[in-house]
Parts: sequence; C-alpha cells; structure tokens
Amino acid sequence: MALPNIQDYYVPGTRQEAVELLGKFGENAMLVAGGTFVHGLEVRGVLGEIEALIDIGQLGLAGIRSEDGKLVVGATTNFGEIQAHADIASAPHYAAIIDALTYPPAQIINVGTIGGCIAASAPLYDLPCALSALDASLRINGGNGAREVALGEFFTGLFENVLASNELITEVVLPAAPANTASAFLKLETNANDLAIVNLAVRLTVDSAGNCADTRVYVGGGIGESYARAVSAEAVLNGAPAEAASFDAASEAVVNDIEPVDDHRASAAYRAHIVKVYTRRCLATALERLG
Amino acid sequence: MSVIGKSVARPDALDKVTGGKAYPVNFQLPGMLHGKLLRSPYPHAKILSIDTSAAEQLPGVKAVLTHHDVPQRKFTSVYFVPTDTKSLPQDLLIMSDHVRFAGQPVAAVAATSAEIAEQALELIEVDYEDLPAVFDPEEAMQAGAPQLHDGAENNIAVAPVMEFGDIEAGFAGADHIFEGTYTTQRAHTCYLEPRVCVAEYNGNDGYTINSSMQHLFGLREKLAFALEIPESNVRVIKPPYIGGGFGGKLDMSYIEPVAALLSRKSGRPVRMEHTRYEDFITTTRNPIKVYLKTGVKKDGTFTARYASSILDAGAHATHGAEVINVHGFAWLSSYHCENMKWEGKSVYTNNMIGGGYRGYGAPQACFAFESQNDEICETLGLDPIEFRKKNARQLGSAHPLVPGLTIDSYAMEEVLDRGAEAIGLAQRHPPGANGDGTTKRGIGMALFPFWVSGCVGFPDIYEHSGAIVKLNVDGTADVATASVDIGSGQITTLLQIAAEELGLPMAAMRMVDTSDTTTVPFDAPTHASRITYGSGLAIKAAAGEAKKRLLDVAGTMLEASPEDLEVVDGIVRVKGSPDTALTVADVASRAESPFIQFTDQGPAPTTLAEKGTIIGLSSMAPPSNPSPIAAGFVEVEVDTETGEVKVDRVVYSHDLGRVINPKGAEGQVEGGFQQGIGYALMEEIQFDPDSGTCLTGCFLDYKIPTAVEMPTQIESIFVESNEPTGPFGAKSMSEACVVVPAPAIANAIYNATGARLKDLPITPERVLAALGEL
Amino acid sequence: MKKLIELTVNGEHHEVAVTPEASLLNVLRGDLGLVGPKKGCDAGSCGCCSVHVDGKVVYSCMTYAVGAQGKEITTVEGIGHADDLHPLQQAFIDAGAVQCGYCTSGILMAAKQLLDTTPKPDEETIRHAIAGNLCRCTGYAKIVDAIKLAADRL
Repeated sequence: MALPNIQDYYVPGTRQEAVELLGKFGENAMLVAGGTFVHGLEVRGVLGEIEALIDIGQLGLAGIRSEDGKLVVGATTNFGEIQAHADIASAPHYAAIIDALTYPPAQIINVGTIGGCIAASAPLYDLPCALSALDASLRINGGNGAREVALGEFFTGLFENVLASNELITEVVLPAAPANTASAFLKLETNANDLAIVNLAVRLTVDSAGNCADTRVYVGGGIGESYARAVSAEAVLNGAPAEAASFDAASEAVVNDIEPVDDHRASAAYRAHIVKVYTRRCLATALERLG
Repeated sequence: MSVIGKSVARPDALDKVTGGKAYPVNFQLPGMLHGKLLRSPYPHAKILSIDTSAAEQLPGVKAVLTHHDVPQRKFTSVYFVPTDTKSLPQDLLIMSDHVRFAGQPVAAVAATSAEIAEQALELIEVDYEDLPAVFDPEEAMQAGAPQLHDGAENNIAVAPVMEFGDIEAGFAGADHIFEGTYTTQRAHTCYLEPRVCVAEYNGNDGYTINSSMQHLFGLREKLAFALEIPESNVRVIKPPYIGGGFGGKLDMSYIEPVAALLSRKSGRPVRMEHTRYEDFITTTRNPIKVYLKTGVKKDGTFTARYASSILDAGAHATHGAEVINVHGFAWLSSYHCENMKWEGKSVYTNNMIGGGYRGYGAPQACFAFESQNDEICETLGLDPIEFRKKNARQLGSAHPLVPGLTIDSYAMEEVLDRGAEAIGLAQRHPPGANGDGTTKRGIGMALFPFWVSGCVGFPDIYEHSGAIVKLNVDGTADVATASVDIGSGQITTLLQIAAEELGLPMAAMRMVDTSDTTTVPFDAPTHASRITYGSGLAIKAAAGEAKKRLLDVAGTMLEASPEDLEVVDGIVRVKGSPDTALTVADVASRAESPFIQFTDQGPAPTTLAEKGTIIGLSSMAPPSNPSPIAAGFVEVEVDTETGEVKVDRVVYSHDLGRVINPKGAEGQVEGGFQQGIGYALMEEIQFDPDSGTCLTGCFLDYKIPTAVEMPTQIESIFVESNEPTGPFGAKSMSEACVVVPAPAIANAIYNATGARLKDLPITPERVLAALGEL
Repeated sequence: MKKLIELTVNGEHHEVAVTPEASLLNVLRGDLGLVGPKKGCDAGSCGCCSVHVDGKVVYSCMTYAVGAQGKEITTVEGIGHADDLHPLQQAFIDAGAVQCGYCTSGILMAAKQLLDTTPKPDEETIRHAIAGNLCRCTGYAKIVDAIKLAADRL
C-alpha cells in the first residue's frame, strides 16, 4: 500500500480550513492540486508517512487577473488555462511560459497547476524554470499570515523550499514586462512525454544602445538540486551587444553555474554541452522575438 | 480472390473500440484472491531463512509461499520446446533459496485484496547472505567469476559453433578484410497489457488457468511440468485476444505457477498481475556483442565471413540459450558465402532473465552485418543495392538452414529496386554533404535478406497447428484454433484464409472465443512469423475438409457431382450453370435437418448421406519454411549540435508472398518501425551497476517513441512473390520489419554525418561523441 | 477507512465506498465495472487509463477518486456503444487503427478532446494531442489516419 498511514482525503472549501488542516497534520499532510506529482511520489513509495491528502481544488485559487500591470496567476490555475490566456500567449516577454507548456501531453496540460509544479521543488519541471527567468514571485499564505517570496529564492534543495508546513502558495505574480523584452525556453527530452534531461529559460532585454540588459538565464533538469541561475552568463551578456558573438560567450560561461549529474539518462558532460547549446539557441530565439 | 487481399475490418475491433472487455486483465472469478510476489533486492544471494509468521497473521491473508512450499523440479520456461528438451538448460525453479538476480521472487502472498497482500509482503523477514555478483558476460567467463549454475563452466550456458567451407582460405583469397564490433542493448517488448493470470485449483491435482500469454499449450506443458503433475491436469483457457506480446509473453513467468500453488493452498482462485516495474524486469531482448570479420573481393563478393557473438542470458538461460542459435542463423543465412564460421556464447550473469522479442536474435545480427556491409560499400565505392544482390541467396537454391528444402519464392531484387527507387537512394548525397549549419540530412538502407515463416526444420521446436471449421445452418462458419491473437490480427488473417477456402463472405466468419486446451488441437505459439503461414495452412486444410463435405451434401441435393460444384460468396453452384445453385445455408440446413423433414407437401425423407454437421478438422505441420524479405530505407535529419536524430521518412519494402489484408500488413510494418526506431535511438533497460536494481522500470525512464517521434511518412511496398507452399501464396512478415530499422538508421546517420555508430541505442550523446563534439 | 463518495460517470450517478487514496482508475474498473480504461503503467505515462473529467482528458490512474466528486466523468463506454458508435470509434475500425487494442480506449479519449475543441486538426496537432498515449502495435500511422477520417466525417 502506497499510503499506509492515510486517514482521509480532505477537500476544504476555504483557505482557512486548508490552513487549519495543514496545521493539524504538519509534515504529514500533502497538498493535492493536479495530483500528478503526488501520484508520482506515491507510486515510488516515498509517502509512507502521509496521513492527509488535502485537495486545494475548491479554494477558488484558479484564475488569472491583472494587478497594477502585473499578472497574478492563482496557484491552482492549470497549464491549459495559462496557455489560453491572451496576454500570456501574445507577449514576447512571456514566451518562455508558452514554450514550456508546449511540451506536456494533454493529460498533464489539463490538470497540472502552476502552484503544484512550483511546490514540487524538483528542477525536472519546466514551467518553474521559465517563471524563474521572468522574475516571478510567490504569494504564500498560512498560519503566520501572508508573505511574498521571489521564485528565485523559493527553492532550497531537491524537494525542499521555504514553505513552512502550515503554508501554501496561493498566487504566482508575474511582474510587468520591461520594454523591449522577450524570453524563450528549451527542454531536452527523449520522447514527447518526458521529464527534462535539461531545461533552460532566458529573458533578454535589449536597451536603446542595442545591448543586453537585465538578462536572466535559468537552468534546470539534471544540473543540480534545484534550478540554477546562470549569473556568469548573465554577467557576460549585460552590457554586451545583443548579437551572436555575445550569446556564444554567454554559452561558454554558463557551465560555471551548473553542477550537472551523471545518470542513466545522460552524462554530466552531455548535459553541460546541451546547456551551452540551449543558452545560445534560447538567446537567439528571444532576440528574434524582439523583431 | 474474393476475400484474400482485401482490407476487411478486424472482427475484434468493435469490442476493442467500445471498451475491450475480453482481455485477460479483465478476467475475474467469484471469491478470487490477489497474489503478490516478494522480490529479492540482491542480485546474488543465498537465503538463510525466511520468517512469514507475521504475514500469515495479517487479517485477509489466506496463503503464503516460500521456496519450502514449491516443487524443486528444474524446468525451462520457454513455451515452444518440449518440456524434456535437451537443447535448452533446465535451470529454473518456481522459487529457490539461491537468488541470481535482483527481483527474483522469494515469497508470495495471496490475500483478499492486493493492498493487503502488499502489506503482508512487508511483514516477511528474509535473511540473505549477499554473494558477489557479475553483470558483464565477458567478466562472467573469466576465471574467478562467481559461478551461477552447476554444470555451466565459466558461466557458459551454451556455446554453439557453425562452420562451412574453409574460413582461413576464404580470408586468404580476399582483397579486403573488414572487422568491427557491434553492441546491442537490453530492450523490452513493452506490451501494454501487463502479464496477468487467474489460477484456480480444481482438486485432484488439477488447475484451470487464464493468462495473458502467446501459447495455450506451452503454458499447459510448462506449468504441469513445474508442478510435477500430468499435463492434462492443467486446463488453459484461451483468451479471445491479449494486449500485446511481441515475444514478451512466450514463456511461463513466475506468476502462473505461484498463483496455482497459492490457489491450492488457499482453496480459492488467485489472480496475479504484474506492475509495470515487474514487467520490465521479467523479459528482455538479450544484449549481444557481435564481432564480425569479413573478407571481400574488389567487386564486393564475399570470400569469408566470420562472426562471434556473446549473449548476456541473465540469471537463467531460458530463451537466451535459443536466441543465440537463431541469431547465428540470421547472420549465417543472410548472404551467400562459401566460407563461413560463427561462434556463439550464451553466458549467465546476475542480470534479469532474457526472453523472446520479435526478431529473436536477428535485430542484433542484422545491425552488425548491415552496418558492416554499408561500411564495405562506402570504403570500396560499391553500389549498396548491387553489392547486396551480388551476395544474396537465389530463388531455387537450397534453403540455407533446412536440409532438403529449397527457396521457392524470393523476390529480393524487386524488393531492393522498388525501395531504392521510392526513397531516391541513387540520388543521395555523399556522406556529410547534405545540409548546412547544424542540420545534416542523410539516407540509409538495410536489408534483412533471409528469415523464417515458422520453425519447420529447427531442432526441438514445435511447429504443428490445428483447427476446427464448422458450418452453421444460417450459412456462417465458426473457426476454432489454439492460436492466440496477440494484437497483430491473427483472427482476421485466419478467418480470411478460411473464408476464401470455403467460398464464404467475411461477414459469415466467426472466430470461436471460448476454446481451451481440452477443446482444440495443439498449435505452436504465436511467434516466429508463423501464424499466417503455419496456422494459416492448418486453417485452410480444415476449411478444405469442411468444404469437401459441403460439396458432397450439395451434390446430393443438386443431383450433381461434387467435382462440378463451386462455392462463390456463400452460393454453391454448378460450374458453368450458375442458376443451378443453393445457398450454403440451404446445404448446411439440410445436413443438420431431421432425417424426415415435414414440408408443405408433407413428410419428405432426406438421405443418410446428407446427414451430419458440416465440419472440418486439421492438425498438421507446414511443408516448408519460406523466407520473407525486408528492406528498410530511411531519411534522417541529424542536429550536429545536440546529436539528436529525427527520422523523417521511411520506405519499407517486403516480400511476403501474398498480402492477405493490406491494411493489416501496413499496420504491422508501421508498428514494427516504431519498435525498430525505439531500439535504434532510445530504448534501453538499465541497471544500477552496484546493486543490480532496474533504473528504467517505468515509462518515464524507459522511453519508447510517441506519435511525435515517429516519421509522418511510412510507405509500405509489398512484393507478392507467391510462395507455392503458402496459403494462397502467403508467407510471413511480422518480425522482419522490426529487424531493419536500426541498421538503416545507423547507415543514414553515416550518410548524413560521416560518423559510424556501432553501439545501440544511438543516443544523441553517442552521436555527438562520434562527431568528436563531446 | 473507506468513505462513501458520489461519482457521475457516463451520465449515471453512483455511490461507492472508497479508500482515501483510491485512484479513479481503480474505482472505475474495480467498483463500477467500467473496464474500458486500462491499467498499463499506473504512473501517468502510458495513457491507457485516459478518461474525461469535465470534458478534458486526464490520466485516471493519477486522479484521486474522492477529488473527482461533483465532476462529469466520461469513459470510452460513454462515448458510444456497439449499435451507436461515436464517429471516432467507427473511424478506428475503418482505418485499421486497432491492433491489440489495449491503448485504444485511452487514445479515443485523447482524440475526442482534440476533435471537441479543434474540428479540423492538422497532422502535427493530432500527433501532439495523442503524445500522452503510448501504442506499441501500430506505429500510430493508422491512428492518425483514423482521427483525420473522423474529423472529416464529423
């Protein structure tokens, strides 16, 4: 039995109830949104201690709204709803999000949620990589009140993050797009229903002088315990002309910021090689999107 | 012909599109228990003790088994050989105190639910003595390696050698000598329906078994042997169809005997179903490392062919002891050469047990020889089509494998020419010359020149088939056979053959779906490309016998000689005077009617000669073993920065004798390509090198192609060579299409990039390494 | 430990007692006798278990049954039957898209969502729409043909 200690599957109707349940069961509670990650853990037999599944689908956390030029995405908004949102689908700034969502099959698009794939805290997921590059932040609610955490500071390790056991993500905030900014995302996979061997997202702003500014490069997949911000690559880019030579230089620098792993899916050397190629390709795509 | 050559719809499709009720996985019995296996975490260990007392105390647990409770008669699980075979090692036990691979069952529980059975497994305490393990077959043959089986010196299970002519003289006469080593990986069939069975103990040492398997009678034999009971005490129910096999269900697994013994112990039926992880560690295409040394004249004529092959059998020989032979046959029979020598070794290791998988040793062989043939052509500047024609076997020549047989149909030249024309082989660019930047394109081809339609002529392998064909009073026919439809359309093919022979429309045909080992004649397994040919001939013979009886009765009714009658589309008529006719229903009704029929005109006697169900029975072996031919032509695109390979276009050219059902044949070829491209580019069962634990036990880690990775263009060319011994000219095709993709793709990658890949799977990483980019 | 839940499947209302973590697949197959959805991997990778929840295709093996309360669930049995086939079911027969058939129930449900939202999909769209479903027999070619055929007929 995969959940030998399970007591109940709860479907709280309010945030308050959800937080109370989290408070009651603490570390032995598992939140369920789309359920795909939870199931993945369950079948691997690592949820032996779990006593409560708490379904947060009825908390009214789904939906996308504008707020002072930002987009606020409810935590249980699923991938399909994000794909279908006109502002996200059309803006070059958000293109990395749309790129990331071209990969999962319909069965995951329909149920996977933005909050769920972030809370999972495993760099194998694609959307958080893209969101990190867009400087997204998370609104967190719980027993100790509300707070907002930058996504780049959320992950603390594999399957680990800054959430207290009585907290949950309620919203994901996408900051307003800076002018002349585009993003792009790529994933290395073996077939079209795969977890990332490597994934990578960039955000590129080109200033009035034609130079890269405030660039973001994030890398995921088997390159460390959580997504890596490629600060070396960013440093090479910022202030440099937005052109292929700069992108080549950035792609050489990016490997300083990752610790790729050797496993049955790929060697560390191959992962590092792909990260370089994808850095270049994503930057070129982003530049192209700026027209 | 009225039914042969038509894309009639599959009779089983209606049920399958509305939910598919008849799979073994859906089978249930009242009061059924659920069984689970406890598997060893160690790849090599001795069981010092097992304590099952806590598990037995758990409410809901009805029976527990360990090696203490099971017969200790060693057997081979392979279905298609007799139980007392001398050709395959009998080295397997239902449960043993000697663990030889991680995942070997060491205990089993039957409980009222699968969850309780799983809980009970956790309460079983096993004390193991961890033993040194060996995972590499070459290391396993070294002195000092752990010895896995008594009597298998240096862990060699079998070591066949075949030699023809004078190999040294052949090399001495060569202008060029090519050498190469080719490696292939462990790959899983990935049937989608898990292995599942329901076993019921009936008392008096008797059992009834329902299972997802490819051979009714094989399961009966092997189960009876392992349980040490007479064969007819086991009744195996034929499933109307199963959810895929591809050779992966060609042996008895642990669950059937364990479920049977759990049923006996508990007094209730027991169902066991594999998880996907269990399926992944239960059967695999054996990895084979092939060394080739080939001597050729300047014009490409072979002067000497030498091969040596090392097969990783895993913990028990089972299929691995036969795959090595068939692999050798596939290499040996492929091309003609006066001087040939092959040395094979099937080696025990602490890896998972191997198994049957479509192609059965041939994919490993063809990858090696067709890769090398491409290298020979490229090096010597030879035309790849002419080179193959020059060395190929010829129509009318002696069968290379079976003494006394000849090659009676063999349209190799047409297969090659039409395929090459369709892909544009003559127009392809030199290696590395097509494409710019990071994208290179290439075209490659491979030929699988010689294969089987069944196993006639192979020692120790069953090959006879049987059938019952029975006409009903409404003019329909019921066909019964032990041959299992594993997905590739056996029901449809066999019914088309019977319909054509009887002169009935397809709509009048029905496959009996309630057969079991007590009601139908023996049939060899659904394997070895044998159903259309071998079972097809038996079906045709049974239909022919029924037709003879039909014409006898009709002759009496029409006052005509049976020889003057014909049956067309359900009508029996006098040849040349089609108005003198009866329906088949009329004739069958007369045969079944009471002796004196009461008609509008009063009582009317019939004749004794007309009485009796119109039925035909056959049980027979086919007369030959005709060879299908497959040539695969592919166009690929290689990303030279990432190493990713995309197959854009495929042309598949086959000699299959006669197409029985064009859509069915295309579907089989297209599916064969999916398995072939997966084998070529991505599929591999991998284990942790330290513990022997499977790392690819789910579809997240064991990747097979989805619709997105498949080429959008697959063109099938079927050359109809009309095999004279086959049913309506047909031979087989189901395996050859799986064999050619890997070498064709490897050769296309060479054409695209100039890099020669000799190890499967050709992952992006290996491509980059070959390009010197990694 | 079991709790009573209410499920609406193929328009029929059911009350069924389930464990808290029961998957929708196990409840459909084991408790409701709807064996159309198949277990092929039990890990959200093969697609044999695909059903619709509120008109969208999901893996029922990784859907919690308790969480599916109040939603409209449709299995392959709900889209047509022998005497009244859905055009997709008929097209799968006509195009030769069925071999062993174990994947068929799930692929029909993935294809149905596609045609529900995209009446005339192109080949690439079709292939992506069924990328969450594995087939090991057909190579997908005849399945793609069948979906095109059904789209033409609808």
